[in-house]
Amino acid sequence: MEQVGFIVWRESVEALLVVGILYSWLRSDPEGRRGLPWLWGGVACGLGLAALLALLLLGMASWLSDTGQEWFQAIMALAACVLVVQMVAWMRAHGRGLKRELQAGASSMIHRDHWWGLLVLVMIAVAREGSETVVFLYGVILSSQEEGHFTAMLLAGLAGFGAALLTFWVLQLGGRLITWRRFFKLTEALLLLLAGALLVSATDRLISLDVLPTLLDPVWDTSWLLDTEGGLGKVLADFAGYRAYPALSQVLIWLAYWAAVIGVLRRVSRPAQPAARASMGDSAA
Amino acid sequence: MKTRLAALLGALALGLAAAAPARADEMPTYTLTFKADGTFEPARLVVPAGRFKIVLINESSEAVEFESLPLRKEKVLGPGVKSFVVLKLSRPGEYPFFDDFHPEVKGTLVVTPAP
Repeated sequence: MEQVGFIVWRESVEALLVVGILYSWLRSDPEGRRGLPWLWGGVACGLGLAALLALLLLGMASWLSDTGQEWFQAIMALAACVLVVQMVAWMRAHGRGLKRELQAGASSMIHRDHWWGLLVLVMIAVAREGSETVVFLYGVILSSQEEGHFTAMLLAGLAGFGAALLTFWVLQLGGRLITWRRFFKLTEALLLLLAGALLVSATDRLISLDVLPTLLDPVWDTSWLLDTEGGLGKVLADFAGYRAYPALSQVLIWLAYWAAVIGVLRRVSRPAQPAARASMGDSAA
Repeated sequence: MKTRLAALLGALALGLAAAAPARADEMPTYTLTFKADGTFEPARLVVPAGRFKIVLINESSEAVEFESLPLRKEKVLGPGVKSFVVLKLSRPGEYPFFDDFHPEVKGTLVVTPAP
């Protein structure tokens, strides 16, 4: 029964991390509050998509073949990765000068597109883990009905979700204890690590689909040191993209990801004249 | 920005459309069953290196998730659902897998050198 709670907790934490960080960021800024409806819209769309995906996993729908499912997972993970990085870069830029731009009234269009990006990001984050939680709980509830401890299982599931909310609340609380700037940095780092993990999971799918060559497989085997079956290795795999047997192409993509992220964030953080730098091709990126 | 977003949504739609049936004939096929008592059958699956298909059958009344990072596979199966994974492994060795929804349920895929 504890296990039911634990699995629901684990499946919900990733989505809550994304939704929660964006929520606290939007709330902290008067301009950001405009984005809240988009955030909740994303949650609603995500729940809808999760239900659709759950039907597929339960074998009640067949609009997506096996290969199709793998493509879909890869594309969802890639899209989420791109959107997280874009959102983090935007959050940085916003902190500096977006309010001024807004007051000048020049960027309402750009803004609307960002809100759409926000909606899609939240939708994917909720749908990815949500669909698995739905299927898992469906099975648990179905079998517990036969065995007659339905309520206990339902409570365990709710407890898991409650624990996930608590986890986020503690993180929020941490944000009050440390300065906003630190909290911002910390959540930014968490989101970027998560985006890297999403990218690695997308490369797993693409290698499976024979689309991405492995180059050398595996480059190393660190399963003796830290395996990904459970514990720390599993957490690092889910939130940072750790693999005990990575393929060379995965390692290269992961390194390229961090190089690109650092490049993008440097460029965003640099004060003023972004247009001139962009047209120069920017050797730092 | 708008075009990038449109491209993204287009890619999602493409993923949905990529529903062409997998060409999985003529491939060596093995079966892995999630038994009603919560165990894998067989717990050790021996296969020769190469490309092959494993049919996954969930006979239990709960949802299961066949997962293995070394095999790069994750597959959720609702109660009573049957599906498959296609694997291509050239490196002989032991690859652990487990049921992510019941983490104590573990199995091993043993890949022997190609004949």
